[in-house]
Amino acid sequence: MKKPDLKKLKEIDFKKAAKDFVYGKPHEERRLGDLYIPKTGLYKHREWRGIKDTMYYFNNIWLYNYGKMVMDIVELGGPKGLIQFLKGTWRYRWMGECYLTVMHWFDRGLEGMRGPALRASAWHYRAMVNASITQIVGMFVRDQNLGGNKELHDKTIAHDETVWGGVFYPYKDQLENIPLQMIPYFVTCHVNNHVVLNYIDAVQAYGLPGDPCPMCQAEAGLFIEDDVPDFYPALVTTNEACDGSVATSVIQDWLINKPLFAMPQPMQFDDDSVLENCAKEIEGCFRFVEEQCGVEFHWDELVKHLEAQNELQRFEWEKWDVDANTPYYPINGVAQALYRIFQSQYGDRPIWHEVDGRVRKIMEKCVEEKIETFPKTRHRVIAWSCAPLYYSNWCTWAYNCWGLNTVINMDSLMFDMEIRTDSYENCLMDMAKYHEWAPMRRMAVGGLHHIFELWENMEKFNCDMVMMYDQLQCKGMQGVVGLFEDEFRARNIHAIWMPHALPDKRTIPRSQIRQIINDYMTTVMGEEPLDPTLLDFDDSDSW
Amino acid sequence: MKAKKNIKRTVGALAAAYAGLFCVFYFDLDGKLLYYVVEPFMKRHFDNMERRDPHTVPYEQIDSEYMKK
Amino acid sequence: MRDLKHLIYFEDLLQEANNDLVRKGKEDGNLCLGYTCYFMPEVLLDLPGCFSVRLRAPRCTSPDMATYYMSGRTCHYGRSLLERALEGGYNFIDAQLATETCTVTCRFQEHLDYMDGVINNASFKTEFTDVPFKKNENSIDHYEKQLKIHVLDFLNREFGVDTSDEAILKAIELNNEVNDIVTAIGDYRKLDRPTITGYEFSVITLVSMCCPKYLIIDKLRETLEELKTREPDDKPNYKIKVMLAGSENDDPDFIKLIEGCGALVVADRYCYGSLEARNHINVEEGDTPLRAVAKHYLLTSQCARFMEQQEMRHRKKVLADYAKDYQADGIIVASNKFCEYWSYERMIDTIVLPRDYGFPVCSIEKEYINTASGQLRTRFQAFVESVELKKIQEGK
Repeated sequence: MKKPDLKKLKEIDFKKAAKDFVYGKPHEERRLGDLYIPKTGLYKHREWRGIKDTMYYFNNIWLYNYGKMVMDIVELGGPKGLIQFLKGTWRYRWMGECYLTVMHWFDRGLEGMRGPALRASAWHYRAMVNASITQIVGMFVRDQNLGGNKELHDKTIAHDETVWGGVFYPYKDQLENIPLQMIPYFVTCHVNNHVVLNYIDAVQAYGLPGDPCPMCQAEAGLFIEDDVPDFYPALVTTNEACDGSVATSVIQDWLINKPLFAMPQPMQFDDDSVLENCAKEIEGCFRFVEEQCGVEFHWDELVKHLEAQNELQRFEWEKWDVDANTPYYPINGVAQALYRIFQSQYGDRPIWHEVDGRVRKIMEKCVEEKIETFPKTRHRVIAWSCAPLYYSNWCTWAYNCWGLNTVINMDSLMFDMEIRTDSYENCLMDMAKYHEWAPMRRMAVGGLHHIFELWENMEKFNCDMVMMYDQLQCKGMQGVVGLFEDEFRARNIHAIWMPHALPDKRTIPRSQIRQIINDYMTTVMGEEPLDPTLLDFDDSDSW
Repeated sequence: MKAKKNIKRTVGALAAAYAGLFCVFYFDLDGKLLYYVVEPFMKRHFDNMERRDPHTVPYEQIDSEYMKK
Repeated sequence: MRDLKHLIYFEDLLQEANNDLVRKGKEDGNLCLGYTCYFMPEVLLDLPGCFSVRLRAPRCTSPDMATYYMSGRTCHYGRSLLERALEGGYNFIDAQLATETCTVTCRFQEHLDYMDGVINNASFKTEFTDVPFKKNENSIDHYEKQLKIHVLDFLNREFGVDTSDEAILKAIELNNEVNDIVTAIGDYRKLDRPTITGYEFSVITLVSMCCPKYLIIDKLRETLEELKTREPDDKPNYKIKVMLAGSENDDPDFIKLIEGCGALVVADRYCYGSLEARNHINVEEGDTPLRAVAKHYLLTSQCARFMEQQEMRHRKKVLADYAKDYQADGIIVASNKFCEYWSYERMIDTIVLPRDYGFPVCSIEKEYINTASGQLRTRFQAFVESVELKKIQEGK
């Protein structure tokens, strides 16, 4: 047996090692990049964050959420729901290849987080998991492909994921509304981005060129692959966000072959003269739902949910206030972005309130005790335009590697309003406006002046840097790149262009995104990384 | 005495399970199982699944009244 | 066939946007109003004292400056228009009546609005109109309201244009005259042996969109007269007849390329084509002229942006009906690279038109100016051969 090298042992600073064990290593000494197994994105071992935070992660995040991923199914669907869930896992690729990888989605988003930032961000993730399970169970118990409940099926309306769920509030006590693509496409891109590539390839195999927005391609591909549950008698589509979304409806209509109501939003949405048209389309949608599902319009139900949603909005404003004006905001960039878009798009659900309550406590503690949640912040970053879904956790990496703290992003700022409930007319007009202010619509298309709201938001959130998402296949944003360049120069703003192809990591790999940021930080900003092991690593096959 | 033993056993088993789970967590064994075993298996399953041919889906002309209102 | 008397003159007019007739129109003291999309009713831009010009960027093969502003990943058409604007090629227009009906042309028009001095014309303004995605009553109401606010009121407020009902009726009358002439010319394509080529007709259609109507109408009338006595060639120089459908195309040379491969283009349902752009505008009893215009442009359009279920499906049948009416043997569905509407529409047309209507389809992606003519030529030749073979097999 080899004798221990006493000399080396003597060199070890046991006091420091003990301190690191108890409290975790200082940021600069973590060497998070060393934890990865090349290519896979897996860890040789998960990060040791000190006793308290590691045990919190193990007990309150890892064990808790794995447990909840079973319990939620039973709670929402009963024992039959569990059977349907298993059947669905076997039937649908986006389910079978994704569900269990959820905890690694947590891992990627929460790398390096400590204390309140770890806790509050994890609660946001938990809410999204619950909301996803609500939809998954909802789909599977009704799914006629899986022998689901026909009665429930007939009391369900499906809609494009970009149709705001609030349109169906008046019927909440009588029917369920479930977005068609929010789980099969949007969530899976984040959780396991291998899956979406099948759908993109499928639709291209039927003759679609490779250049339209890959989100729309993937959404169309889901239907080409016949990989969407049959849980609804009719559906509502929309033109949100772009030409590609309009065009996808053609494929959906063909392959779904069920009654379809198109509820487009006016393009020039900040023109007050268009509101009436949008409101009437919403009323048209009401009629469609009532006739297709045999339900009645309940004003009280609408008011109840709108008031609840307004409450969520008011808390979001409180969060923004802390985020904009203090260093005590405990939610990281990826949790902020995904939670907000999920919550505001899907609509009022109990889980959002539960989680907001928990996050409020954490945030208030941070403010009261002046806890700097991201103490290594070198730059306050605003992320603008549409984000890479396969690398939404880039901001976690950017903070760990460079101290770039993404405090806010464009999608979070979209549904920025309360809805009046004092009269039907006011309510309808506000619903129309809310519907129009959807992600990507308000800024990526619909008037370039909205895209330039960037400048005022930079100021509002005290940002000194822009991460400019460059979705290569978004015609709306590509059509304005030069004006942005001109403005960045004229305003002397540090902006990093981040090319990506929304869900498709093959176009611009994550390593290339990191390299672009690395290059900018070293050559333009002249800075040294906080954690050099994160500069370059291979995660090409990771989820 | 027996009850005490049983309690001890249960506590011991729970502690062992907890420690085991911690090992799974810390060494990312869940990830490794999913990545190297579960995902390739499921992928093969889905790749070999028989799917509807879109060409067989009809495309009928319809006259929907909803849109005229 | 005998050459058309005015063809060379027409071709010359298409060499640049600011052509002789446009200059003459301006010298006559008229306002020149630019537009790009069918959804901006040209008839309202042809009110007394104004004339419409549907913008083109002929011979723009390398839109370098526009590529800086709009990247190389947007539709070549939109970029070419911006390039031409940045070169000063549209300084003659007094206002751009814009629509956000497809993303990239919208962005082009937003650049005109946003960038100082891109149009070197002191009076220049851009005004956007919202265009609905459906054809129901709500959409017609909305469209009418938008046209009132963003076209009529805008022109009246900014330029003092007479936008009364009488003025609109006068514009409808002039447009109908042109529409009827061009439609009558186009009808010669329906003959068993057409007496006009697709290329010639495309040139005629385009001049009717890009020149002041009151200045071009006589030549169009003369051309119609000429066609009445024009005899087809003894031996046709084409092998099959095709319909061209798809996205934006204002390049007659593209039609020439197709015809050079042995396929006579007998019907044109694409942006800048004559179907439905040259339909007669009817003012029904009880409708104001503006209402009639709104109805006409919304209800006649077969644009791929309409989203109602029956409309999405119906427009495939419309294509098949056109092909039948014009005796086409096949359909070429062409979409501009980066055009999202037509990428999808082309995909489904390629499946549904042969399967449900029996028309062979050649599905191609093209650029605004087709420099890759060799590849396209190969595709068209192969298509012509396959349709010919099919015809032989069917004993036609």
